[in-house]
Amino acid sequence: MNKVFSDNFLMNIKNYPLGEFYDELIDSAHLPRPAATALFEYLARFSPAELNARRVEVDAAIMTMGITFTIYSDGANIDRAWPFDIIPRVMAAKEWRRVDAGLRQRLRALNLFINDLYNDQKIVKDGVFPLEVLAGSKNFREQCKGIMPRFGVWAHIGGTDLVRDGDGTIYVLEDNLRVPSGVSYMLENRMLMKRLFPDLFEQCEILPVDDYPTRLHETLAALSPNPTERPVIAVLTPGIYNSAYFEHSYLAQQLGAVLVEGSDLVVGSDDCVYMKTIDGLRRIDVIYRRIDDDFLDPEAFRPDSALGVPGIMRAWRRGKVAIANAPGAGVADDKVVYTFVPKMIRYYLDEDAILPNVPSYLCMIDKERDYVLANLDKLVVKPANESGGYGMLIGPRATPEERARFREHIIADPRNYMAQPTLNLSTAPTLFEQGLAPRHLDLRPFVLQSENMYVTTGGLTRVAMREGSLVVNSSQGGGSKDTWIVEERR
Amino acid sequence: MLSRVAENLYWMTRYMERAENTARLINATSQVLLDLPRGASFGWDVLIQVVGLDGLFREHYTAYDEASVMRFLISDERNQGSIVSCIHNARENCRTLREILPRTAWERINALYLFINSRALHAQEQSRRYNILEEIIERRQSVVGLLADCMSHDVGFQFIRMGRFVERADMTTRILDINAAVLVPRQQVPEDPAMALLWMGVLKSLNAYQMYRRHASVHVRSGEVVNFLLKDPHFPRTVRYCLDELESCVSELPHNGAPLKILRIAQRRIAGMQVDGLTPAQRHEYLDAVQADLARLHAEIATEYFNFCEQGGAALPASAAG
Repeated sequence: MNKVFSDNFLMNIKNYPLGEFYDELIDSAHLPRPAATALFEYLARFSPAELNARRVEVDAAIMTMGITFTIYSDGANIDRAWPFDIIPRVMAAKEWRRVDAGLRQRLRALNLFINDLYNDQKIVKDGVFPLEVLAGSKNFREQCKGIMPRFGVWAHIGGTDLVRDGDGTIYVLEDNLRVPSGVSYMLENRMLMKRLFPDLFEQCEILPVDDYPTRLHETLAALSPNPTERPVIAVLTPGIYNSAYFEHSYLAQQLGAVLVEGSDLVVGSDDCVYMKTIDGLRRIDVIYRRIDDDFLDPEAFRPDSALGVPGIMRAWRRGKVAIANAPGAGVADDKVVYTFVPKMIRYYLDEDAILPNVPSYLCMIDKERDYVLANLDKLVVKPANESGGYGMLIGPRATPEERARFREHIIADPRNYMAQPTLNLSTAPTLFEQGLAPRHLDLRPFVLQSENMYVTTGGLTRVAMREGSLVVNSSQGGGSKDTWIVEERR
Repeated sequence: MLSRVAENLYWMTRYMERAENTARLINATSQVLLDLPRGASFGWDVLIQVVGLDGLFREHYTAYDEASVMRFLISDERNQGSIVSCIHNARENCRTLREILPRTAWERINALYLFINSRALHAQEQSRRYNILEEIIERRQSVVGLLADCMSHDVGFQFIRMGRFVERADMTTRILDINAAVLVPRQQVPEDPAMALLWMGVLKSLNAYQMYRRHASVHVRSGEVVNFLLKDPHFPRTVRYCLDELESCVSELPHNGAPLKILRIAQRRIAGMQVDGLTPAQRHEYLDAVQADLARLHAEIATEYFNFCEQGGAALPASAAG
């Protein structure tokens, strides 16, 4: 590499306090990784003050655009802008193609698994998946047994969290198969970057992300029980106080779908689902639901749910309406089930997993539980069914009291816990008033599946904005970055 | 169109319209007050009566001084009709409509909300108030223009227009009513110069002064002003104009018999009204009746479109249907 860089460029990188972690953009010799070279050449044009001015400009644009994330505890002020970092996370297209293939493989296997569980349970009979895991699953729904949704697909929209460890390996951290959120931020982040740095996009070969809404529409439309007509698609939201309401509304708008709340819908005596319009009732063919199974239908699940639609399960079971993701799909969105995914891939597809799982210890297995209990200070312990980073123990950072409490939880309910070593999560340069600083991040690509399969180009990069923090969840103070998949220059 | 969405569209524009009307009312009144001779009977309390919130005001304030009235009308969140409350409510409605409206509509309403939140306190200061309120008017008008130009003029758009014109007609009748029924009896000589100033204020608060001079009269006389503001078919803030617009909106909607019927009653009432020779009390009675028509129209719109299914307007289909 004997390219001549400007002083400014070198200043930017030389002062970057590279930590002991793998950095996504800058290598250990303090040089940009090949995929990020063009980005740093561009950034070199700006003085620190100019760059900072752009950062402030972005924050203002976000407030005006009302790209918000709702925080439950903020009381009356229900909107909060989600921090956005203007330095993109860059990944080489060559590396991405392998990830893309790995995700397709994984989601194919997961959908085969869910369909198998609710029908023949061959994987249990063949002794690959233990019955006791199934028995302990909170998200296995008796009401879904014997159902075969179109194409045999249950999780139509999946969000798989990827992390990179110290040695550069990309691992799958978890599969979100219930109501994964974040894709609107992926799209909005790209739009913000295009608004703010149009010339940057002329210089770098950045693969576009904006076909997601079209693909989502195709995925949903293919599920319609009335394939001959133009399907009526609705996005079912719990309403304005839900943390992801912005996204629900955004996706409905992008899809040309109707955004409905439970109270807008009614199930007729013909078991079809109707929405209440100014001109009476109108039938709905496909529901992209953004509320959990538990709240979907007070007749079938929680009777106290005011968010759902009484009778909607009946309509779905009779094939009068398609629901994405299908009720019960969450059975595979379980951190204990997760540990079996490589085996599923082998079992259903007769392939080796392209993307590895993070090594995991299952507390339900005596030997592994003993190891976990003896090493609580080194491990991350996760409950099987929580999402959003709630209810986790990060061993090395926990107090002795917290560890003692988790020890009791694990002994009381071993099926509900698994543990993983603390990963050396990779970092990327993130812009602060003082300049660039490394922050930990992950990546959530989204995978669509019904008649066809589709993987987003990249996905949503979430950043832990606090120094040293490993928690990237938007509900816990994380932020996000635009994610670039770039064709490397020769 | 979902009933809930129709209702939110309707209320969003009613709130936006009310915010603008209140802003204009305050600015116009402030200008008139500067011209009035000392000791004139007119006071800030008239503004509270125009918006019809005397009771609420007295719950929270002791005197009708400028500071109290301004705070109540501009920034008091206990008053659902204050400018801050209206814009807040419009934004909350708009938030549920982001997939229906052009995206910039949300951005502008959100920006207006951020603007008023940061300026509400300054707007109570006499010297800065005018410009801040003018900017609110301007920003709200940019939303109206955006919707007219960038949104399909579909059924949803009709609800947007209906919210606007119901609110506007209501405000015009209130402004006329208060000035006719409250002010005139106090002044023994209705056409004295101070009265002309007040009626000029009325026209200005409806942005009608210039058009009145062009189309009705160069002289500002109560009878002519009232006649213009009720019956002129071309100026977009007259009651007649609002009713005609409402008729064209409702005509686009399904099962519109009941609301159309009330609109026709209101239109005939306005057309048949002989303004000249009416005593202030008679005028007040007429305006009261027009306001009642508007309230009934609102009730019918709610029954037919917002609560249509609950009313059993469309029974659940039998199993053969669908």
